[in-house]
Amino acid sequence: MPKQFRLTRAHRLAASGVILIILGSVALLLAGTRSTEATNVYAAASLRDAFQKIDGSDEIAYNFAGSGALRDQIEAGAPADIFASASPDEPQELFANGDCERPVTFATNEVAMLVPAGNPSRIQTVYDLETGNRKLAIGVADVPIGSYTREVLSGMGLLGILETNTVTEEQDVTGITSKVALGEVDAGFAYVTDGKIVADQGVRIVPLPAGSQPKVRYQICAVTRGGADTVGAEAYIKKVTGYQGRRVLSEAGFGLPPHPSPDGRR
Amino acid sequence: MRNQRHRSGEAGFTAFLALCAGVALTFLAVPIVALFWEAPLGEIPSLFGDPVVLDILTVTAKTNLIANLLIIGFGTPTAYLLATRDFRGRTLAVTLVELPVVLPPAVAGIGLLAAFGANGLLGGLLKDAGIMIPFTEWAVVMAVTFVASPFYVRQAITAFQSVDPLLPAASRTLGAGPVRTFLRVLLPLSASGLMAGWVLSFARGIGEFGATIMFAGNVQGVTQTLTLGIYQQLNGDFDLALAIGVLLVILSGAVLLTYKLFSSWRSSTSI
Repeated sequence: MPKQFRLTRAHRLAASGVILIILGSVALLLAGTRSTEATNVYAAASLRDAFQKIDGSDEIAYNFAGSGALRDQIEAGAPADIFASASPDEPQELFANGDCERPVTFATNEVAMLVPAGNPSRIQTVYDLETGNRKLAIGVADVPIGSYTREVLSGMGLLGILETNTVTEEQDVTGITSKVALGEVDAGFAYVTDGKIVADQGVRIVPLPAGSQPKVRYQICAVTRGGADTVGAEAYIKKVTGYQGRRVLSEAGFGLPPHPSPDGRR
Repeated sequence: MRNQRHRSGEAGFTAFLALCAGVALTFLAVPIVALFWEAPLGEIPSLFGDPVVLDILTVTAKTNLIANLLIIGFGTPTAYLLATRDFRGRTLAVTLVELPVVLPPAVAGIGLLAAFGANGLLGGLLKDAGIMIPFTEWAVVMAVTFVASPFYVRQAITAFQSVDPLLPAASRTLGAGPVRTFLRVLLPLSASGLMAGWVLSFARGIGEFGATIMFAGNVQGVTQTLTLGIYQQLNGDFDLALAIGVLLVILSGAVLLTYKLFSSWRSSTSI
């Protein structure tokens, strides 16, 4: 007759041991991966290429998204060490709340209208959109590119073209550039630096009239929160505002302030 | 005369049914077919060397493993309690357990932020304890656990309730304690139902998007799961997005198959 099975104390101990081992390995898995020491840079999506060229090492972990979304995340306590925005509004707001150090202007940019390869809708100037019924991609009002776009168009008295042409409002510039590059829209308003990034996919820039450009100012600041990597943040900001960083930004098509402006007012 | 009318009525009705079914099935099939058609299928094996994909797979595996352990670890006793004991407020408890099934994931996401965010209900407490949850891996774990747990717990309740109560009673009469009865009698008898429930909750967890992107953000290597990866690559490498989509379709198919296998595997629940 087969021996009866008894759930003895030994069995229970063994089972607890196995469970503990599993949980322990899981905890190790969690702890043992990268980026606990990396500096977390939350930056505007338009900086995706340039910033990774300035520092693409494992020391930096990037989070590229719309500047408004990043500001919201930082306000909600996200583990950012640096915040680089495509407009002064977001960093100044964080600075006023005590969430970051005084922001520094480190670059400028220009709004551009992008068209897909081959320009299928035959758009030569922004006035061509007045006829309406094109497919236009712009940024949401809350994101810098969206607000700059509206500023440009209202300055030219063309705000109405947004109502008759817009088919999508994107959360950041990559949404706009990808729609244009895929040919899903006839045109999109992004930055000239984005036009350069997707030029290899055939995307072309349609120039805007001289004098219509708003003041596009990029600002960077170190986030103040418990546990922030202030040393890494300071080093990174030095890189971005230093000679090598300015060279990379300029090659990417960004404009540069005469010298890093510490008071954020230039 | 009447027979003829019936016969052509019959044929007409069947034709109508077939037409509706044809439209419905085609509509469901076209996106799946298009995905396999448009995706660079030949490049998929080399994807596993891509650091972006590796990060995505690591994050997904880690977070879902922990979430599933939590779901089973806490969900099984919860389901047992709700299945076998009656108490005041039991209906409310069952409703609460079932709520995430019908709750839109975006609502789950914003709810988690409202609860655990820096400015949320528990934000002050967490800050004092030095714990930060939003936009970290634990945020992914919590989002996945929140949306996927009811799929397991509901099925587990049904599985426990389908066991003939005479059997655990007999086990108790024969001298086994409650824990031993649970482990040696109830669990094996309800195993197939529990596994089927777990498979569904696993699939729901892997597929979670809305709550994760709102509560955990979309950062590669930290919180970017398979579904968040597709969303990111939509604006980046579209081919990569398609490839990840294909992977998920295959995974979903495997899940469905496994679920059907477990459901059909029936063990005797009566003497």
